[in-house]
Order: sequence, then structure tokens, then C-alpha cells
Amino acid sequence: MQATELYGRQILLTPTEAVALPPGTQQLPAMTVTPQLVQCRRCGSVLDRQLAQLPHQQFYCYQCLTLGRVSTLTSLYHLPEPNHFSKRPELTWTGQLTATQTACATQIKQAFIRHDRHLLWAVTGAGKTEMLFPGLAWALQHGLRVAVASPRVDVCLELAPRLQAAFATTTVAVLHGRQPEPYQYQQLTVCTTHQLLRFRAAFDVLIIDEVDAFPFAANPRLYYAVEQALKPTGALLYLTATPSTALLQQVRQKKLTISYLPLRFHRHLLPTIQVTLAPKWLAKLQRGQLIRPLQRWLAAYATSGQRFLVFVPRISQLAKVQAAIQQAQPTLIGLTVHAADPDRLTKVQQMRQAQVQYLVTTTILERGVTFPGIDVIVLGADDPVFSTAALVQIAGRVGRSKQRPTGAVRMIGASHSRRLKQAQRQIKLVNRKGRRLLNDMSTLSATTND
Amino acid sequence: MTCLLCQQPLTTKLTLAWVLSWQALPRPVVCDTCWHRFRPIESATACPTCGRAQAQRQVCQDCRQWPTEPRFYNQALFTYNDAMQAYFKAYKFGGDFRLRTVFQNVIQQRLAQLSGDLVVAIPVNPSTMQTRGFNQVTGWLSHGENTSLLKTKASHKAVGQAAKNRQDRLLTTQPFQLATSTPALTEQTVILVDDVYTTGRTIRYAAAELLENGAKAVIWLTLAR
Repeated sequence: MQATELYGRQILLTPTEAVALPPGTQQLPAMTVTPQLVQCRRCGSVLDRQLAQLPHQQFYCYQCLTLGRVSTLTSLYHLPEPNHFSKRPELTWTGQLTATQTACATQIKQAFIRHDRHLLWAVTGAGKTEMLFPGLAWALQHGLRVAVASPRVDVCLELAPRLQAAFATTTVAVLHGRQPEPYQYQQLTVCTTHQLLRFRAAFDVLIIDEVDAFPFAANPRLYYAVEQALKPTGALLYLTATPSTALLQQVRQKKLTISYLPLRFHRHLLPTIQVTLAPKWLAKLQRGQLIRPLQRWLAAYATSGQRFLVFVPRISQLAKVQAAIQQAQPTLIGLTVHAADPDRLTKVQQMRQAQVQYLVTTTILERGVTFPGIDVIVLGADDPVFSTAALVQIAGRVGRSKQRPTGAVRMIGASHSRRLKQAQRQIKLVNRKGRRLLNDMSTLSATTND
Repeated sequence: MTCLLCQQPLTTKLTLAWVLSWQALPRPVVCDTCWHRFRPIESATACPTCGRAQAQRQVCQDCRQWPTEPRFYNQALFTYNDAMQAYFKAYKFGGDFRLRTVFQNVIQQRLAQLSGDLVVAIPVNPSTMQTRGFNQVTGWLSHGENTSLLKTKASHKAVGQAAKNRQDRLLTTQPFQLATSTPALTEQTVILVDDVYTTGRTIRYAAAELLENGAKAVIWLTLAR
């Protein structure tokens, strides 16, 4: 085994595999077993003693099995990160940041220099990746090891080529579960948050994109992974459009610094959520009927040709909703999409090319997709599957084009859930900040014109 | 509780009939959808020798090529399909020992139905025991320890069974020998339990070893065929 494979990593090996290790390799116990506690040292999960039991008083971790089984029969092998990087990569990106983006980018760079923990709250569609470039360039120039991690594979796959293009003189290592290529030791790594479980005190700068996305948000193991993978003196940056209350609490407790980018690239505010209460929408749907306001909106869409998305909480409701829409407005042509749909990509493509006027979908289209100039309707917005973050992201699908920077976000629910109210409040807060920023900018440009 | 195979939440519906029946609450470990992906073998029409699922009860093509031996036959519980393959991948190779509970009940019920004097599990070799930490067969029977009347001759496998093709597998040599402290097998009917019946090579060696040492008959029980 090469030493570079172990720098800043914690690799799981059985005694038979652990031969010919480079000198200085540290062997760490893979699990903590005491009479009170059984804990995995890789993912930090505290385990149920009975479930984790193997014969002969051995234990294993059933929480991080997908990365290879951690058990008391194995050990973790580690070499401290030496930052052996011969080159000093340059930023080869030649684009321009807007004034507001520059302000945020500077704050990010400052946070890296101070080795701080920072949260960037930028609205959906603000151009987050480009804002990282000045900070990343500084870190790479100073020989620091950097990782950009995201909970979603598709986000990683989209990020990697953009970073590679921006830093063309270095190689970006990409790590995720479906990756066939072997691990390579590089200064700049793009990976899924799960892969961070394989690192220990490796990164001087760690950036987590879309912190609010599943599975990171609901998974304490991944927070543990971030703490493990970061050097004790490292800088941490969270990027999100919808920070959780836990993150905002850390901001209030001064454990995190924060910067805002409340305006989209076209300088319009986010569309706000309109809630329509309809306690019987589900019962009516079961009978194949739609509630009155929805019928009215559909009639308007049928005449205007405006495209839209309909979100429903359950896969089983997709077909019913489509049938009901079909019956109410036969001229509307649309499709249904869900996560396990084999034709998912082609259907999304058809919507993007405006071959169909609407899609009925579950939360899978909540983030990462852009259909310019659409409206959004959410049925059952008070259902627990729509978290606050999901609702804000869904609202963020609207108004993403310069031609139609506004649009309608209509949510139908049986009640005002707390999640719904929080989503409305978050959008209101961001818009208040955005409005203030717009005012500042207009006075600024007025004074510079004088 | 979540399903061990698909991680979806498990819900048990309480019915009045159940409340009045005064039975213990059934605690399933897998959901109905996952459970129904396993295909049970109808033993009335299965091959009488190897337990393969068939339309009619007759000795299958495969078994006619083996020399006939009236003293043993196989019973298989499930067809080896995609769901079963995924199960073995997670249980044996992934090492998720919790998954033993998925089939614990069915196997133990079938064992109780078969009238045997002794239950013998196919052992794993010591090096597998060292890395996997359990014997997958005894996991279904009790606690996954490598206790058996049989033991492997080799301390580790050069090539895993799964990596061999049919020809290679048929050419393997007797891998088992009787453990030293063995009770007398004379006139005993032995039930031999294994995980998968693929070519029948392994289990025939194991049965031969037991018959040579005086067993009257050997019934094989495999989870999949």
C-alpha cells in the first residue's frame, strides 16, 4: 500500500490485508466496546448492543455497512496528512463576479484565512460555485488540502468539471459510491459526504454544499464525518439556500459566522408562497375531483399556455391527480414523474423542451432542476414529506429566468403546518434582506453617478 | 422499526382478532413487499433429489447426471432469484449479521418438521470465520458460531465458490473432515444444513463424509436452490 493512500485517511483493513504498510502507519481501533457503550469509530454511531453482536463477543457496525463493514475484527489505518503538494495551482477561471457576489466571495476567503466556520446563505439560483473560486484559489496557493462535499452524487458530478475547468493546472479527485476508479491523493477533492467517513484530519478547508439536502440533514453520522475529516485547525464552509434551525442556532451562538446573498442573479426577489386551505382536497381527489380554486387555475393555464409543476406527497397520488387534471382540462398535456421512474430523465427532458405543459411529481424535482418561467402548485403542502427546506426549494423553482423573474407558488393543504409557516417566514426574511440590499445598491449607484 | 432489507418503516396493524387471540405480538423484521420477492419452492412438485422448483415431481435433468444414492435427498426452501442473491450479498459478503433473523423462523420450523436425529451445519473455514466473524448457516440455527460435526480441511479458501464456474466447482476435492470429538453417527438420520445448492458438489462431499462414518441417512436442507 502506498503512503499517499493513507495520508489523512482512515482505511479499514483486516489483519490479513494489513501487510506491507508504509512506515509510521497508525493502527487505530475500529470500535469502542465498553460494558456501557458500543460505538463505531468510523461513523460515530452508538450501537444497540444486541443488534451489533457477532459470535465470540465480537461486534460490528450496522450503520455504515455500505462503505465496508467496521467490526472488532478489523482496524482503521491512518497516516497524518503531510500536505505534500508540489504544485501551487492557479485560478484559470476568467469570468466576472457581480458586486454582491464579490462581497460574499471576499467574506468566504476571509473565513478560510481565519480558519473559521462559516455559513453562506445564498438564495436558490445565486451562483454559489463561482463565489468559492477566490477563496479556493487562496487555499490552493498556500498548499492547503481542500474538499468540496455534497450529500448528492448528481451535485458532485456537476461540480467536479466546473472546478476542474476553473483550476485547469491541477487534477480534481472525484470520490463517490458509484465510482469505479481507484482513490488518488490530490490537493482538491470533490466527494459525497458519505466518503468523508474515510478521512481523518485531512482537510484544511472543507466545503459542504447543499447541507440541507437529504441524506445529510437527517443524518448525525455525516456531521460526525465532517468533524473527523476536518483538521482541528481547519476552516469549514456550509453552503445552503435553506438553512436548518440547528445551523441558524449555531450562528446565534456565534459558533458559525454567516454571510447572505439574498438576491438572485437577475436581482429580483423570491416569489412568495400563497397558501389555500382546503381540508377536503384529498377526499375529493379520491373521488376524482379537484377543489374549486385549483380548477380555476387550471382553466387559466389552459388558455394562457403557462407551464407548471404539481407536487404531491405520495407516489400513489400521481396518477389520480393527472387523471383529474385530464378530466377538468382535456387540452392540457402532461406527465407524471417519481424517483423510481425508469423514464425520469426523458420526461424531465420533455418538460424542459416544452413538449408537455405540466409535470405531476413527488419531491424529487424539489432541487437541482431548472424549467425557465414555470409556476408551481403543491398539493398536501402540510404533509410531513415536505420539510421546510423542501418547501423553500420548491418555491425556488419559480422565477429562475430573466424573461419571467416572478411567478405563482400556490400551496394547498388541509392546515397551516409549522413547516409551511417556517418556509413562508424564511422567504420573507430573505426578501427583506434582498430589498434592503437593492435599496443600498440604488443609493450607491446614485452617488457614484453624481 | 424499519425493514432490514429496504429500510422502509414497518407497521403492524393491530386487529381485534389478534387482541382476543391472546398471542404475542408478531414482530416482523422485513416488510411484506420484500418478503414476497422471495419465491418459496412447492415441495410437492419439486425435484425429489435436489429440491429444485419444477412443474411436476420428477428427478430433474441435473440430478440424473449424479450417481443415484438413495440415502440422501435435498429440501430447498426458496428459489435462488435476484432477491435471494441480494440477500446473500448483504448477509454473507456484506457481513450484516442482523439479516440472519429474516429466515431464522422458516428454517427452524422446517427443521422441526423433518424427523432427524442430528442437525449438522456446513462449516466455514477458519480464515472466513476470522474476517466474516460468523458462520452464515449456524446464524439461522442459533448464534452463528462455527460449531459443527464437520470442519474444513483447508484453513482458508484460495478462490471463493462464487468466483468459480460450474466446471471448476465440479472438479473440487473433498473439503470436509469429521471433527475429532464426534458422537457415534451409527444408525442416525442427519440433517445437513447449507445456504445455497448450486451444483450439489459441496453438499455431496459433506454427506459422503457423514455416510462413511456410519450415518443411516442424510437429509439436506438448503435455503435456496
